Amino acid sequence: MLQLKNIVVQYGVVKAVRDVSLHVGKGEIVSLLGPNGAGKTSLVSAAVGILPKAAGTVTFEGRNITRCAVEQVVTFGLTLTPEGRRVFADLSVAENLHLGAATRKDRAEVAEDIDRYLKMFPILSERFHQTAKTLSGGEQQMLAIARSLMSRPKLLMLDEPSLGLAPRIVDRIFELMIELKKTGLTMLVVEQNATEALRISDRGYIMAGGTLVYEGEAAALAESEDLMEHYLGGGVAA
Amino acid sequence: MNRLRQSLINSLFPALLVLVCITVVHFFAEPFQVRVAYVFFMNLTIAIGLQIFMGNTGIVSFGHISFMGIGSYAVAILTIPLAMKRILIPDAPFGLAYVHLSIFPACVVAIAFTVLIATLFGFVLKRLTGNAAEILTLALLVITHVVFIAWIDLFRGPRALYGIPIVSTLYWAGAAAIVAIVIAKAFRDSEGGLQLRASSENLLAARAMGVPVEKLRFRAWILSSGVVAMGGILHATFLGTVGPNSYYFDQTFLIMAMVILGGMRSVSGAIIGTALVAAGSELARTLENGPVIFGEKLPTMFGLTGFFLGAVIVLSMILRRDGIMGDDEFEDVFHRWMRRRKEENSGKPSAVSTSSAS
Amino acid sequence: MEYFLQQVINALSVGSEYALLALGLAIVFSIIGLVNFAHGELITLAGYMMFFAAATFVHNPLFLLPIGVAGAVLGAIVFERVAFRSIRNASANTGILTAFGVSIIMQNAFVIFIATRPKAVQTPEWLSSVMTIGTFSLPVLQVVETLVTAVAIGILLIVLKRTTIGMAMRAAAKDFTAVRLMGIKANMVIQAAFVVSGFLAGLAAVFIISRRGAIDPFMGSVPVLKAFVACVLGGFGSLEGAVLGGFALGIFEVLLQAFLPDDITPFRDAIVFTAICAVLVGFPDGLLGRRVELGDKEA
Repeated sequence: MLQLKNIVVQYGVVKAVRDVSLHVGKGEIVSLLGPNGAGKTSLVSAAVGILPKAAGTVTFEGRNITRCAVEQVVTFGLTLTPEGRRVFADLSVAENLHLGAATRKDRAEVAEDIDRYLKMFPILSERFHQTAKTLSGGEQQMLAIARSLMSRPKLLMLDEPSLGLAPRIVDRIFELMIELKKTGLTMLVVEQNATEALRISDRGYIMAGGTLVYEGEAAALAESEDLMEHYLGGGVAA
Repeated sequence: MNRLRQSLINSLFPALLVLVCITVVHFFAEPFQVRVAYVFFMNLTIAIGLQIFMGNTGIVSFGHISFMGIGSYAVAILTIPLAMKRILIPDAPFGLAYVHLSIFPACVVAIAFTVLIATLFGFVLKRLTGNAAEILTLALLVITHVVFIAWIDLFRGPRALYGIPIVSTLYWAGAAAIVAIVIAKAFRDSEGGLQLRASSENLLAARAMGVPVEKLRFRAWILSSGVVAMGGILHATFLGTVGPNSYYFDQTFLIMAMVILGGMRSVSGAIIGTALVAAGSELARTLENGPVIFGEKLPTMFGLTGFFLGAVIVLSMILRRDGIMGDDEFEDVFHRWMRRRKEENSGKPSAVSTSSAS
Repeated sequence: MEYFLQQVINALSVGSEYALLALGLAIVFSIIGLVNFAHGELITLAGYMMFFAAATFVHNPLFLLPIGVAGAVLGAIVFERVAFRSIRNASANTGILTAFGVSIIMQNAFVIFIATRPKAVQTPEWLSSVMTIGTFSLPVLQVVETLVTAVAIGILLIVLKRTTIGMAMRAAAKDFTAVRLMGIKANMVIQAAFVVSGFLAGLAAVFIISRRGAIDPFMGSVPVLKAFVACVLGGFGSLEGAVLGGFALGIFEVLLQAFLPDDITPFRDAIVFTAICAVLVGFPDGLLGRRVELGDKEA
C-alpha cells in the first residue's frame, strides 16, 4: 500500500536518513522502532512531504507521490499525526476536529464522523468546546489522533503517540489502535516504546543511525532479546 | 590586543582603497567629480555606521539617518556665524543664538550630542526584540523629522538653515570613511562583536549561554550613532546648508540599499554596496533628468532613482539574500583564494568549499 | 456636551482607521511573520484606482468606494504573488526589507507614471456632510467610519470563528506545518490572509481618501506608520492587540490635538511616538504581547 524506496533525508551536510526502504501492506500495523535520533521522524516527515527528500521514491496505492506537497498527500488518504501532537492550542476541540476534515466536502458525514470519534474518545466530548491547550497531554494525543482520522485516511502514520504519557494512557492509546485496525485502517507507528508497539503490530522495522538495521515479523522481533537489548535498550525495560 | 591588531591589519586594504581613490580624484578629477567622490565617502561613512549596528545585531534599523540629521543640525547651529543666526533663528532656546564654536569643538559637541540622544533612545530599544525593535527605529526617524520641522525657533522648521562654514574637503571625507572602516572592523572582530553576531543567529540560545545581548546591542547602537553623526557633519560642512528633508526617507532608502546589496553582515560588503549603488543612482539621476543621448532628448522621469533603489533592495532579497559578500570580508576572500592557489600548485584537490552564498 | 461627543466620535474614527490598518498588518504577520511595509501602498493603490475609475467610466462617486476596496484587495494579492511568495520561508529581516523595497518601488512607480502632484478624488457628498441627531451635529464620515469598522471587525470575527479558512488562519498563526498536515493548502491560507488585509486596508483607504479629498504617491506612508506603531503597542502579531493599539493610538492623538496648546500641536506625532516608546519600556512586548520562548514557532 505504501512503499518507501531508498529514501535519503539531508540537513545541510548531515544525512539523517540514508537509503531506507520499507513498505506497509493493506490492513497492517507496522512499527518503526529505534532509539532517539535514529531518523524515524525525519523518514515519516519526508514520506508525507513535510521534509524534502534528497533521494528516493514514495509510492502510495500505486501512485508515485514523491514530489507531492503534504497538502495533496492528505487528499490521497495518507495522514500523519505528528510527533509532539501539535494540536491547535488556541482552537477548541471542535475546531480542531473540524480542521481535520478540511479536505472533505460531505458535511453530513463529517458530522457523523465527529459523533463517532467523540464516542471513541469520550473525554473529547466532555471537552468539546474547550481550547486544546487546556487539555492534558493524553487528551491532546487523543485529539491529535481523532483530528487525523477526520480526514478519513486509508493509512495513518503515528509519530511517537505514547511519548511523555502516563502508562495507563499509553495502554489506552494502543487499545485504540487495535480498535482502529478492526475498522480496516492501516497504520505505521513510530515508537521508542518497542515492547508495547510490537505487541499490537504485525511487522516491525528497526532504525539506528539513519539506516534500517532490521526488519521482520513483530513476534519474532519481540522475542529476539539480543536485538531488543542492542538497539532498543530502553524499550525492554519498559 | 592581538585581535585588535589583526583587525587593524585587515582594515589596511579598504583604507588603501580609499586613499588610492582620493589620490586619483586629486590629480585627475573635474570639480563635479570631486563632488561625487565627496558624497561617496560621506555615504560610505554613513553606510558603515549603519552596518555596525545592523550587521552585528541582525536588527534592521530605519532610524540611523536621524543621527545624520542630529549631527548635521548640531554642527550647523554651533558654527553658523552669530550675525547670520540673528536673522535665521533669533529666538533659539538655551541661548544658542549667542553660541558660536569653531569647527573642531563643534564637531566634537555634535557627535557627543548625537550619542547622547542615541543613548536615551537606546534604553527603549535594547529591551525590544526583532520586528518591534525595527519599527521603533522607524519611529525614531519620524520623531526627529517632526522635531526638525516643528521646532521652528531652533531648526527654522521646514526651511533650510544656511551659512554653515564650508570647510570640509575630500580629505576630511576620506579620513572619516577610514575611521569608520577601522571602528567597524575592530568592533566586528572584538569579543563583543563576535558574541553579538552569534546572538543574531539565535538570540535565545545566546542569552542562555550568558551573552549580555542587551548590553552589546546597546554598545553597537551607540557606536554606530557616533559614526553616522560623522557622516552628518560631513554633509553640513560641505553643503553649507541643512534642511529636514535631507535626513528622511530618501536618504534612508539610499543607505539601506547600499548596505543590503553589499551584504549587511560584512564591512567589506558595505563598501562594495556603497560603490555600486552610488554608481547606479548617479546613472539613474542622469536618466531621471531627461538627458540628451545621440541627439535625442529623453523625457524626464522623476522617481527613477527611488525606483532603482527599491529594485536593488527587492532583487537583492529575492536573488541573493546575504548580499554580495555574505559573511565574508575582503581578507576572507583573499585567504580563500590563496589557499586554493596553494592547493592547486601542490596538486591536491580543494578540501574547502569555496561557495559562500547560501 | 456636543464638543465632548464630537471629540469622542473623532477619536473613534481615527482609532478605527488605525485599527483597520493594524489588523491587516497583524493578520499577515501572525501567519507568515512578514512585516508588510508595503501595506500603505495598498491605500495609495486604492486611491489611484478610484481616480482612474472616476476619470473613465464611473460617474457616481458612490461606486468609487467599492472600486477603491477592490483595488486594495487586488494589490494585496499581487504583492503576495509577485514579491512575497519568493521569500516565503526566509528570515524576518528578509521579509521586512523586501516589503520595504516593494513600498519604495510602488511609491516611485506612481511618481514616474502618474505625477508627484496630488490629484483630487471625488467621494459622495453626503460623506462629508454633517448630520444632526437630536441636538447634536456630527460629521457623517466619522460616524460611518466607526460603524463600518465595527461591522468589519465583527465580520472578521465570524470568519475567523466559523469558517474553515478562518480557523485555518488562526491555527496557522501557531503552527503552519500542522495546518498543512490537515490537507489545507499553504498558499490558500496565505492568500486569504492577504485578501483580508487588503480588504481592511481598502476600507481604511476609502475613508482616508474621503477625508483628504485628494491622493498622492506618498499618502500611504504616514497611516501605515501609525498602524505599525499601533501593532507594536498592542503586541506584534496579536489581532486583539492590533485593534486595541489602533484605538489607543487614535484616542491618544485626538486627546493631544484637543488639549495641547497651539504652539505644541505641530509636535503631536513626535509626542505620540515618544509616549509609546515610554510605554514599551514598561511593556517590551506590547500591551497584549507575549515573550517568545525557546522552541516557539520562529517567524
